[in-house]
Amino acid sequence: MVNVVRIQEADFSIEAEVDALRATSKRIGGIATFLGCAREFSEGRDVDSIAFEQYAGMAEQALRALRREALERFDIIDARIIHRVTTVQAGDQIVLIVVGAEHRKPAFAACEWLIDRLKQRVPIWKKEITPEGSAWVTPHP
Amino acid sequence: MINVLFFGAIADHMQKRECLLPGHEPMTIEEMVSAVGCADLQPLLVAVNQVQIHDTDYLLHAGDEVALMPPFSGG
Repeated sequence: MVNVVRIQEADFSIEAEVDALRATSKRIGGIATFLGCAREFSEGRDVDSIAFEQYAGMAEQALRALRREALERFDIIDARIIHRVTTVQAGDQIVLIVVGAEHRKPAFAACEWLIDRLKQRVPIWKKEITPEGSAWVTPHP
Repeated sequence: MINVLFFGAIADHMQKRECLLPGHEPMTIEEMVSAVGCADLQPLLVAVNQVQIHDTDYLLHAGDEVALMPPFSGG
C-alpha cells in the first residue's frame, strides 16, 4: 500500500488519492480536498518555475505528526497528504490534502487546518525562479 | 563534533550547506549560532536531531545534528 503521507518528486493523481481514501472505509460520506498549484505570477513578478527544498526526514515526520493530530482533533476517518519537492513549472501541482469524514463540516475544517499547519510546521522551502533572478519565498499567513 | 546543516536562504547566505564544529564540550544553541556566524540572521529556526527546539539555552553535544532554518514556506 502506498504511504498516506508522502514527499516525492513525481506528480500525483488526485483521482488515485481520493479513490485510495474512499477504499479505507464505507463510513466516509464526505471528502474535502486542497490542491496547491504553482502560480505564474507572485508579488508583482512573473514566475517561470518554483524550486522546493526540504529537510529530508524531518519534513516527512512533521507531515505524519500533522496527520495524527488532525485525526485526533477532528471527527474525520482518514487523511492523505502528498507534497512534491522538485522544480515545478507554473500551473503544476505542488501539494494535495485529502480528508474523509462521515460529514462535510469536519472534512472541510480538517483540510483547512492541515494546509495551514503544514505551512507553519513542515521544513520545506520554495524559491521562485523569475526572468529577473530567483528569490526565496517568505511565509504567507 | 557537531554537524550543522543550513537550509534555504541561510544556505545561500553561508554559501554552504553544512559544516562541522570541532570539539567535545557541550555548547548552547546560542553559542553554536554565533560560532557558525549566523547570529545576525533572523528569524532563525533550529532543529536538533530533527526535532525543532525553541530554547536557545538548549545544550548541544558531540554527535548532534543541528539544522539552521529560515521560516518554512512549503505548500
